[in-house]
Amino acid sequence: MKRAIRIGQGEGLVLTANRLLDGNIVWRDESGIWRPSIAHAAVLTPDHYESALDSALATAQKDAVVGVYEVVVRPGRPPQPVSVRERIRAFGPTVHPQFATELEA
Amino acid sequence: MNAPVGHYLYNAADRGFLGERIAEFEGQVRRRLEGSLSEEEFKPLRLMNGLYLQLHAYMLRVAIPYGVLDSRQLRKLAHVARRYDRGYGHFTTRQNIQFNWIRLEDTPAILRELADVDMHAIQTSGNCIRNVTSDQFAGAAADELMDPRVHAEILRQWSTLHPEFTFLPRKFKIAISGSPQDRVAARFHDIGILARPSEAGPVFRIFVGGGLGRTPLVGQEMFDSVPEERLLMTLEAILRVYNAYGRRDNIYKARIKILVQALGIDGYRAEVEQELARMNPDHYRLSPETVEAIRARFAAPDLSAPEGASDALARDRRDNPDFARWVRSNTHPHFAPGRIVVTVSVKPAGEIPGDASADQMDALADIADRYSFGEIRVTHLQNLVLAHVAQDRLLALWQELQAIDLGDANHELIGDIVACPGLDYCALANARSIPIAQKLSARFADSTLQEKIGPLRINISGCINACGHHHVGHIGLLGVDKRGEEFFQITLGGRADDLARTGAILGAALPEDDMVDAIARIVDRYLSIRETGEGFLDTLTRLGDAPFKEAAYETV
Repeated sequence: MKRAIRIGQGEGLVLTANRLLDGNIVWRDESGIWRPSIAHAAVLTPDHYESALDSALATAQKDAVVGVYEVVVRPGRPPQPVSVRERIRAFGPTVHPQFATELEA
Repeated sequence: MNAPVGHYLYNAADRGFLGERIAEFEGQVRRRLEGSLSEEEFKPLRLMNGLYLQLHAYMLRVAIPYGVLDSRQLRKLAHVARRYDRGYGHFTTRQNIQFNWIRLEDTPAILRELADVDMHAIQTSGNCIRNVTSDQFAGAAADELMDPRVHAEILRQWSTLHPEFTFLPRKFKIAISGSPQDRVAARFHDIGILARPSEAGPVFRIFVGGGLGRTPLVGQEMFDSVPEERLLMTLEAILRVYNAYGRRDNIYKARIKILVQALGIDGYRAEVEQELARMNPDHYRLSPETVEAIRARFAAPDLSAPEGASDALARDRRDNPDFARWVRSNTHPHFAPGRIVVTVSVKPAGEIPGDASADQMDALADIADRYSFGEIRVTHLQNLVLAHVAQDRLLALWQELQAIDLGDANHELIGDIVACPGLDYCALANARSIPIAQKLSARFADSTLQEKIGPLRINISGCINACGHHHVGHIGLLGVDKRGEEFFQITLGGRADDLARTGAILGAALPEDDMVDAIARIVDRYLSIRETGEGFLDTLTRLGDAPFKEAAYETV
């Protein structure tokens, strides 16, 4: 069952997951590759994200990722997640600045 | 090796079991990485070995039975932090330690390293009996009636891989204390046990159905004086009733506290008594011989102290006011003349509650070897304890703790904040707990001010699961999500001691940005209206929450 998502005006969606091997957060780019930085995430429109999500779920085991889901973002470079939770996932824990995610990784 | 002071010495069977268990998990990890196990299949297996998938990475929770470590174990934890994580560990409110940046493929190797020092991560997750917690001053406090660690170890052995209780309706937490001063929050556990001696041997007062989380409830007394030989039988019966009737259809109603509410304590007791009547007492009997065999695997330290140790401490206190303040807040009377119990604050001003670096852990292991028989305890308030320090060496110990930033004088004061990992690390959280804790502890860093304020516990949870025990904070903060932004609800008046009660909600949740100022206003109001000798809870009881509500919402 798909989750209900609230998307505001001008907002889009990106796909995220955790890497199986180390649990690190990854983001799906335009070509379906999982990348460690949200800066490379493909921003999808509400009309088109479902097919991308289905595709990502179907290949999750092959791609060695777990917990695939969508995140609402405001488009930008990098895209900015709307919720605090997803901003922390995208940019790293606020209490350990030394562990901030390298956006160009 | 010789038996460690403070905890049980593993034998060949214990070590053999751990080796087999790690080999089993290694195979499961391999099959998961190869793809022959799905995530759905693998998740319960990794959780049984303490491995969660959290916000940024895997988190490994390592068990510290009844909170007692020896120095070689602490050095091993430092090694794990340094080699497999990011150089630190987080002591939890269940007397365990968590590592937040673990790689799945490293986990079998980590578990093997832990097994080298008789440690593991079994039953630190899942719907089973979790790590049994105990009084951090066990076997040391002057106020203790009975050392609970031997029975805590018996409970650990009884509950580990218990075939009936591996798939309970929900997780199950047990605490045991031997002091009339409830330092284990016995009334907020699924089962809380208060042990005391009697003419006929140890007896156990048993509370059932306490807990925090979504439905905070104070546990109720089920039995007043269970004799030692019937302890395991009684616990077994209580758990059987829960296992049979506990709800499995709704995760939010699955804890034993909900069943106790549904049946009533008398109804639940009647079910337990019926179960006991069906059981063979000989099969479950905890014999004095068994207890003594377990006791023999604990070392007994020589607690004599040099003559004049107390006089030396009195002199040092007189000569050094800062040291004297630390002694007032961070020590507890020991039953042995010339010894003293030390709480090492893992809450330096402005830092993360419960976090210790690998270097601090190594240094503390060395300190424990030199000052407290190589033994360290973890408290459920996320501090550490050196239980048997000679009083004439206390000043030197404090100076060494200061050198590693663990010498703050704030135990049970406003700087001694309990906080869950919150949204910075936890996948369940709604809000960040740690930044509020850091800002509050920085705001109240002045130890003179902390002493003036007096005992005041602040507990912060990032979500309703209440890992920061906010319900029992004198001031509790609960993080809530409002349209993706962080807000905090304030509760006042909680306490986990003999007069256990949950805090009452003060009013509407406030935005994260307003929280520190709101708490500061509550504290200022308390200081302005308290009467001589009143603690925060006394003033709250006398005047109710109106003055504090007015202060908290003053500028909103």
